[in-house]
Amino acid sequence: MTHLRRRPEDMTRRQLVRHTAWFGAAVVLTVIGGEVISHVDGTPAPAADPAADSNVLRFVQVSDSHLGFNGPANTAVEASFGRALERINALPERPAFVMHTGDLTHTSTPAQFDQVRQMLSEVKTGHVLTVPGEHDTIDDHAGRNYRQMFGAGTAGDGWYSFDVLGVHFISLVNTLSLHKLGHLGVDQLEFVRKDVARLSPDTPIVVFSHIPLFAMYPAWGWGTDDAAQALNYLRGFASVTCLNGHVHQLFTKTEGNVTFHSAASTAFPLSAPGAPAQSVVTLPAGKLGDALGIRNVTYRPGNPGLAVKEVTLA
Amino acid sequence: MNRAQLWSIAACLAASGYVHADLYVQGYRALPAIGPAFLLQASGSFALALLLMAGAPALFRWLAAAPAGGALVAFVLSRTTGLFGFTGQGLRPAPQAVVSVLAEILVLVLLAAPFVNRCLDREWKQDVTDTDVTRVRISRWWAS
Repeated sequence: MTHLRRRPEDMTRRQLVRHTAWFGAAVVLTVIGGEVISHVDGTPAPAADPAADSNVLRFVQVSDSHLGFNGPANTAVEASFGRALERINALPERPAFVMHTGDLTHTSTPAQFDQVRQMLSEVKTGHVLTVPGEHDTIDDHAGRNYRQMFGAGTAGDGWYSFDVLGVHFISLVNTLSLHKLGHLGVDQLEFVRKDVARLSPDTPIVVFSHIPLFAMYPAWGWGTDDAAQALNYLRGFASVTCLNGHVHQLFTKTEGNVTFHSAASTAFPLSAPGAPAQSVVTLPAGKLGDALGIRNVTYRPGNPGLAVKEVTLA
Repeated sequence: MNRAQLWSIAACLAASGYVHADLYVQGYRALPAIGPAFLLQASGSFALALLLMAGAPALFRWLAAAPAGGALVAFVLSRTTGLFGFTGQGLRPAPQAVVSVLAEILVLVLLAAPFVNRCLDREWKQDVTDTDVTRVRISRWWAS
């Protein structure tokens, strides 16, 4: 009969139980930690209906719909944009406004502008607001066609600001004097300086632009050459959120008091920074919806910042 | 490994976890794949830091290398090839990036220190033995 002898280095039953208990504790603590951290910013739990609170500000950002584009990456950009609008209309609570952060059209023809305006008129929201992208001013660097359609109530070359529920919003145009990078210009910088001078430092500020206001990837023109000056005027504020389009992909970055969020397109994705070349990405069938989306933004008074939720068109 | 080293590892892990939790809350939560990874790094680091201070078995010290080393590798990837479509530039956001990288390097250094010490010790002992053998040979030759 063979006797199995325990070697001195073998684990005893008691040791095994002890190790299992430690591992169990590690897993439990990790899960609890994750739960606590993910609720730190006061994101409402699903059980609590945020719709019930009328003080909560909700708005939606859509971007880069490129109506008129026709390529293998998306042969039906109009249908994709329609799906994005359906997503907005299906939200449990009507957003205060919908902001389109540029490149509404692909080649800025009057027909494309007309179609995008018609489609946007079907959105269930208080207001539809826009900033122009560089595709909205093709062959029209002054952006006259765009401003005729969407420029009512704006100053200068189409910039403006407004307030909703204690949040100050600034919409900037950095696509008209475009060289390699986006550009705001002296007049617009002066507008920002005067605009925020009257605000108290605890006013939450949201800035919309088409091209990122941070140097996301300058080699591809993904930045704004004089944005530092504008951000300098916003330095004294507790919470500044910059929302942009142009890059057709999600990206978030925080610099001091400023958080930048780049949005997904509703039309097609672009290659990520670091790729050999900037190009339109053609995804396998059935995968495109995952790369497209809208952004649902919520602000609760008293909270330090905005809660941003991405919704894909899958 | 003495208690001071153990607590230093726990403190550095907690610091790295705190930075990741803070960035997650500040907005990284919105990033696909990166957001959940930050959350896992933060909660895992906190859990391990707590268990190390509570006297967990030696194996848990080596587990501490996972969140620290993983975060460092991810940081380097995000600054070079990109990670899940996410790219960052330099040691930004400041000061979070610097604090996190330093804390993670310290965790790895503190974990490796006893191992390196033991190797150096063994090498030194080997040197002493070799010297002794040579000395005996010389004296025998001299005597003959």
